[in-house]
Amino acid sequence: MDAGGPANEPAIEANRVGMKFRRGWALQDCSFRLPAGRICGLVGPNGAGKTTLMAIAANLLQPTDGTLKVFGAAPESAEAGRRTAFLAQEKPLFRRFTVTETLRMGRELNPGWDQRAAENIVRAGNVPMEAKIGTLSGGQRTRVAFALAFGKRPDLLLLDEPMSDLDPLVRHELMSTLMAEAAEHGTTVLMSSHMLSELENVCDFLLVISTGGLRMAGDVDELRSAHLLLHGVRSDESDSQRQGHVQDVPAELAGHTLVEYRTSGRQVTALIRPDGPVTGQWQAATPNLEELLLSYLRCPDAPPLITFQAHVPGQTYGSNGSRTVAA
Amino acid sequence: MSNLTKTSATRSNGSTASPMATRGPRLSGLNWLIWRQHRAGFWTLLAITAVCVAWLVYQRTDLINQLTAQGWPDSAPDKWLNGEHPERFQFVGVALGFIPIVLGVFLGAPLLSGDLENGTAQLVASQSVTPIRWLATKLAVSGLVVIVCTAALSVAFGRWWGPVKYVPTALEWSDGAAFDNTGPIPVALALFTVVGGVAIGMLLRRTLISMVVTFAFAVVVQLVWSYFRLDLGHVHTVTTHKGISEGTFPQTPQAALEIDHWYISGSGQTYGWGTCTHEVSEKVCIQKFDLVGWKVDYLPMSQMSSMQWFGASILFALTAAVTVFIFIRGRKRIV
Repeated sequence: MDAGGPANEPAIEANRVGMKFRRGWALQDCSFRLPAGRICGLVGPNGAGKTTLMAIAANLLQPTDGTLKVFGAAPESAEAGRRTAFLAQEKPLFRRFTVTETLRMGRELNPGWDQRAAENIVRAGNVPMEAKIGTLSGGQRTRVAFALAFGKRPDLLLLDEPMSDLDPLVRHELMSTLMAEAAEHGTTVLMSSHMLSELENVCDFLLVISTGGLRMAGDVDELRSAHLLLHGVRSDESDSQRQGHVQDVPAELAGHTLVEYRTSGRQVTALIRPDGPVTGQWQAATPNLEELLLSYLRCPDAPPLITFQAHVPGQTYGSNGSRTVAA
Repeated sequence: MSNLTKTSATRSNGSTASPMATRGPRLSGLNWLIWRQHRAGFWTLLAITAVCVAWLVYQRTDLINQLTAQGWPDSAPDKWLNGEHPERFQFVGVALGFIPIVLGVFLGAPLLSGDLENGTAQLVASQSVTPIRWLATKLAVSGLVVIVCTAALSVAFGRWWGPVKYVPTALEWSDGAAFDNTGPIPVALALFTVVGGVAIGMLLRRTLISMVVTFAFAVVVQLVWSYFRLDLGHVHTVTTHKGISEGTFPQTPQAALEIDHWYISGSGQTYGWGTCTHEVSEKVCIQKFDLVGWKVDYLPMSQMSSMQWFGASILFALTAAVTVFIFIRGRKRIV
């Protein structure tokens, strides 16, 4: 929350980053700052531009618009390349290489290579070192790809859907390794995932993007405490034909920023960013990360929330809570 | 697992305890990666080249034995070149002509498209090497293998053909089978086709389709090349004014390639050599057009080497241009 220490170089600073492909914009007007040393979850619906954002940070793509800096350096600089490791969603590896040769590639191409760390990750999964990559199972291959990313000893680790093809035990084990590694070396991790519940245990920072651009960015606790999840019972005079419409929002919520308002039967659930005390017959609670994320994913029109820690200096952001739901 | 990372942190660089196949000089860094990735193809190329060179050396020995048995090099060899060698020259010359196409399709086209298709280009790009260095090493290592193979074949074929290059029954020097397989031409043609294949693979990003397109490209290169091959030379002209009867046709140097010949009139005008076929008799024709002699255009064999180097330099320049294109595009977006 309060970043007490000296403001050191952010791991990622994106300034109005946009990426246009032939089919249209994959990412638009994305400005945020990821402080160094954070474990950051990157969440968004399919096709929101998560992979594009990571590929830009990993210097696999050049943004159409804006700039992105990795530890203050351009992604294409040698320094940024050395400090960043990227684990792509498909986990590409040379199929005809053995595991040993794959690790040797990491050693040959990375000056700061840590053979022991890489070998330990591979050995923990009982992956035979002399086996060809092409003969390994999907999970074993993911493990080797992980080892390759870890062995590089990066300062910024970009993981694109890292856990999608792992069983729960292995997922847990690799996540623990990841957390220990990150804690030990102060590694910044940016990890995209659809597994919201797992992110909750791991992440202390959050980026939410959807097709429009950045929806939410900031410290997890700060984001959670900025919201209130309200449960209530609908008053009778509302017309049941129009249920679920935002127009039905009770007047007492009008002063707050409304993210989501749902009705099911007579039950009403609302996620708001409170602007002053909430009046009325509501049961209020701080949402957990999953509830918060689901609301934002369900309502792409909700006003974006970028906390101060994620602000890029010199950028103007709508001050929190001052905007209300227009639609 | 904090234990795991703690021990690893104390070891800065990896122990090289893991067993490795060490064959020949130890490669390192990108050179090792490129060689390891394509070693099957590279070894196959080198092995096939070695076998072919050995066979060509044997053929030369056989030819020299045959020639010396009949008095070579003291008398003109065209009288005694018989046996199977003329046929073999023709066959081998044509077969070697396919090498640029084969190299382009099987080495050039998959070189980048394979990595782009499998995502391994991404894998390499996310290591601590710049994509440009990776591209440069890839092109350099493959280029070196291509140069070694084609240069060896060029030298071996040139030495086999050398003793009988003035013998018209063996191979015409201006023929593709001789011209394209000696000197710098095999290297230049193969390099250009391979680099073209690499560029095609880079643009199409799919192995199979880029192999097909590269095949078409390589065939077009061969066709265009053989069409313009003779334009590389500087045509010599010889004229006579001793009439056009038998025995007056001018002598050109040994093994020169006659490009065309005409009748020449007293006023210096030229008439195609078929002019007289429609006249009543040669005499009438001579009188009618005032034909006084012959004019012959030819390319002497002494030009072969300079033509080859001129042609090769054009191909090298094109190769360089395509390479520059690959780097510019690679700088912009490689994966």
